[in-house]
Amino acid sequence: MIVYGFINSVILALMALGFSLTFGISRVANFAHGGFYILGGILTWFFLMKVGLSYPIAAISAVLIVGIIGALMYRVLLIRLRGLELSEVITTFAVGIVILELLRSIGFMGFDYRIPIFIDGSIEIFGQYVGLQRVIIVIAGGFLLIALYLFVHYTKIGLAFRGVAQEDHTALSVGINPDKISLLSLFAGSVICALAAILILPLGSISIDEGYDVLIKALAVCIIGGLESSLGVIVASFIIGYIEVVTAMYISSSLTMVTTLGAMLLILLIKPSGIFGKSKDIEERV
Amino acid sequence: MRKLTFLLVLIFFVSIFVISSSGTIVTAQSKVEPIIIGVPSSLKLLESAEGHKAIILAAEEINAKGGVKVGNIKRPLKVEAIETRDGEPGVPIADAMLAIEKLFLEKKPHAVVLGPFRSEVLLAAMDIYAQYKMPSINVAMTPKFVEKYLQDPQKYRHSFRMMDAKYVVGYLTNVMAKLQKDFGFNKVYIVVQDVLWSTAIGNGMQGWFQKNNWDVKGYDKYPTGASDFSTTLIKAKQSGAQVIMPIFDMSTSGILVQQWKDMKVPALMAGFISPLMGSKAWTTFGDKIEGVINVVFQAGNIPLKKYPPATKFYEAYTKRWGEQQSGHMPSESYDSVYILAAAIERAGSLDPEKIIKEIEKTDMVGCIGRIKFADHQFIFGNDPKTSAIAVVYQWKKGGRRVPVFPDSIAEEKIEKPSWMK
Repeated sequence: MIVYGFINSVILALMALGFSLTFGISRVANFAHGGFYILGGILTWFFLMKVGLSYPIAAISAVLIVGIIGALMYRVLLIRLRGLELSEVITTFAVGIVILELLRSIGFMGFDYRIPIFIDGSIEIFGQYVGLQRVIIVIAGGFLLIALYLFVHYTKIGLAFRGVAQEDHTALSVGINPDKISLLSLFAGSVICALAAILILPLGSISIDEGYDVLIKALAVCIIGGLESSLGVIVASFIIGYIEVVTAMYISSSLTMVTTLGAMLLILLIKPSGIFGKSKDIEERV
Repeated sequence: MRKLTFLLVLIFFVSIFVISSSGTIVTAQSKVEPIIIGVPSSLKLLESAEGHKAIILAAEEINAKGGVKVGNIKRPLKVEAIETRDGEPGVPIADAMLAIEKLFLEKKPHAVVLGPFRSEVLLAAMDIYAQYKMPSINVAMTPKFVEKYLQDPQKYRHSFRMMDAKYVVGYLTNVMAKLQKDFGFNKVYIVVQDVLWSTAIGNGMQGWFQKNNWDVKGYDKYPTGASDFSTTLIKAKQSGAQVIMPIFDMSTSGILVQQWKDMKVPALMAGFISPLMGSKAWTTFGDKIEGVINVVFQAGNIPLKKYPPATKFYEAYTKRWGEQQSGHMPSESYDSVYILAAAIERAGSLDPEKIIKEIEKTDMVGCIGRIKFADHQFIFGNDPKTSAIAVVYQWKKGGRRVPVFPDSIAEEKIEKPSWMK
């Protein structure tokens, strides 16, 4: 239970990280997250199976394309709606639905679309056999978090990200263009989302409906952890990951989503901005 | 020059005459009104999409032979499908009903085949069929279909159905009895998708296990879309279950089997998992699925050496569509068109009341076995010569789907996974 709870938590963190990063910097709640996730998986599958590219090239191509689509979504649609939060949500949600339903309508349905696992086999951890793909997910998830930390703390763009995240008007006064940084945050969030898909989707086959589930899970993690907090995402992932495993183990596997969303509601009641959230205006309004 | 001009003008007029004459022939042919077959289903789902393709194949075969004889006129079949989206999560039943009514009002079908994907929607659709007096041969599996029909046979006389979850229970109980006899197994862990049809099978099987000296070590239900089954597998392993019985039609259920192999759970996986149904599953999942025992609801969705009509359909489908099927609806959908065509010919009319009387009398050989109805439901058994059959098969080395039950069509014996031996 401890082993699989841990793996589950890392998977959740990966699913939510891109959403949290984008919101943390640009304050755009990217509801197209689930669409980008599935698009990342489908593009990788397409480049691998239909175009015949090697795994790394297929993955990099898919990740870049999804990143560019995320950036374009900001440049073409969202830039006109800045500040209108509800409109931003509706727009990104619409983009997500368009992506998912378009993929469905052009024939990506059924059980045949699967990204191959990186390495086959399993190893024993604390007396429990674990598939190597899950081990890779945990290791890659750890690397991604460290890389992200180093990026935002020790690179010029990363520092600009943090500057805009803290106060965009002040950032503007020191020569940082918030629109450009927001665009880059959409790019980075979408790239991370596609990376997560490439790591996680080999566990099963690609299903369009999973895009909606991923969005709900990412939202639950981010709301519990605090929408803009990467640390919150990690903590919340572990809370939800273990809640799911304990629920499935001791109560009922059919109630895992109920307990997850129940935890989300509880956090909203106690601390509306999430465990590590800093949205004071929400706290004050409540 | 004048001669040449005359010749060209002559050729032009002759051409016009020939074209217009042939147009008349086409028009004359098209004056024979087609028989419209309505296909309201969740067409973006693989199962319904393949069922739809099988219906088109059957209609094309019948049309190639001149069509369906109604009285003295042979009329072609025309398939009109509509997307109900009823198999997609979150789509209200009312929306699917609107789609069905739209099909009825705009395309005016003479009968319906395939029908809604989800059982809940089929139950609601039975009232629409009654309202529009629409003969229908459906696929959704809930046992409540027969219950509802029997509540008011006169009202629901237009509804027929090709599969029933209770028959799946019957096949699974036979397989479990076989496992008990061959390997001495008596500890089982049930894991199902939390939807009406699969919980009905799960509940039915739980009752059977308890009455037949099996120890049910656990019974887990997963919401549609679940993607981690480790807790069930850990519990199954810890409890000493010898058989894990899954019932799923969601795409993420393939993960269950991969985890089962990765975690080396020493239990035979025997049940129903949609993603492992078709021959392409081996390409998708590789040897992770080796050893899994799966039920394909009807013959024809898997080729059978001992029942040639099943293989004939399987090959015809592959030839027509350029790919093998992956689902579990094509063969019954294909047969349903032939049932309907035969009923119309016997009735000699498109009067719905006459058609349903003839469908009730159906007794024919199809790719799914011998087809007869009781209480507007296909009769299933263990021999394709006497009844329709489902097929239990096991995935074996090299990606072979080997029929193992019923005995009438079995080709090899059941084997335990390598890590259980």
